[in-house]
Amino acid sequence: MMTKDELIDKLKGIIAPYVQDEAAFKALTEDTDFVKDLKINSANLVDIILDIEDEFDIILENDDMEQMLTVKSAMAIVTGKLKD
Amino acid sequence: MVGNDIVDLQEARQSRWEDPRFLDKLFTVEEQQYIKATRDSFTAIWHLWSMKEAAYKLHVQQYPCRFYAPKAFVCHCESSPHRVHYGAFVYYTTTKITAHYILSEARCQTAKMSSVCLPLVRTAHEFQSQKTRRQLLDEVAKIYGFTSTGLTLKTTELGVPKLYYNAKPLDIGVSLTHHGRYGAYAIS
Repeated sequence: MMTKDELIDKLKGIIAPYVQDEAAFKALTEDTDFVKDLKINSANLVDIILDIEDEFDIILENDDMEQMLTVKSAMAIVTGKLKD
Repeated sequence: MVGNDIVDLQEARQSRWEDPRFLDKLFTVEEQQYIKATRDSFTAIWHLWSMKEAAYKLHVQQYPCRFYAPKAFVCHCESSPHRVHYGAFVYYTTTKITAHYILSEARCQTAKMSSVCLPLVRTAHEFQSQKTRRQLLDEVAKIYGFTSTGLTLKTTELGVPKLYYNAKPLDIGVSLTHHGRYGAYAIS
């Protein structure tokens, strides 16, 4: 079982290439918003979703994607999928 | 009201657009058939994507909320005018495709494209955002005869841009977009 910190670290590694606000990335918390805070282009959100699927060997459905706007929601979705 | 979206094709090439799962996450079966049937699938993908994104940006101005459901915004390009359906909502789109970028604009009624594209020399997000905003404000000031010092642009919690003149909200719909080396603004 992965700890919360390990999960955040893995997610940070995935989103790093798409981040456009480095200061917000350095200050990243669970409440950080991918688009509003990190200024990630919406065209890249799907790349992040595919990278998450590959990293954790999970499949994300449309309903999962719909909520995937913050670090917290990404963590909840990944954790839920890993339990299944 | 207006929503717009620009895609820098050079940036778009860096994405995972060739992965079949990429198509499946963003596009309906019919849209995927349309993409595969065209000679230039790359351009078709980003054409449809920019239509969906422009329509989403228009939709959230009317019904404030935030979500990521590109597949639920369904493109219809088989006849003119092009449309994007989202549930019972229908938005009309126009698109400009060049060798460097694709720019789409969505409206509630059919209309000619009003978006103005500007090349951006620096790709830093902050610079692009400021530059596109500045150009939009200058244009609004010119059209309506406002002094540019009294004119401000604020973005709501949900990411919707709103114009103010001397702190009073203005009833002018605007949309801003930037990606890679290009920005664009629209005024309705």
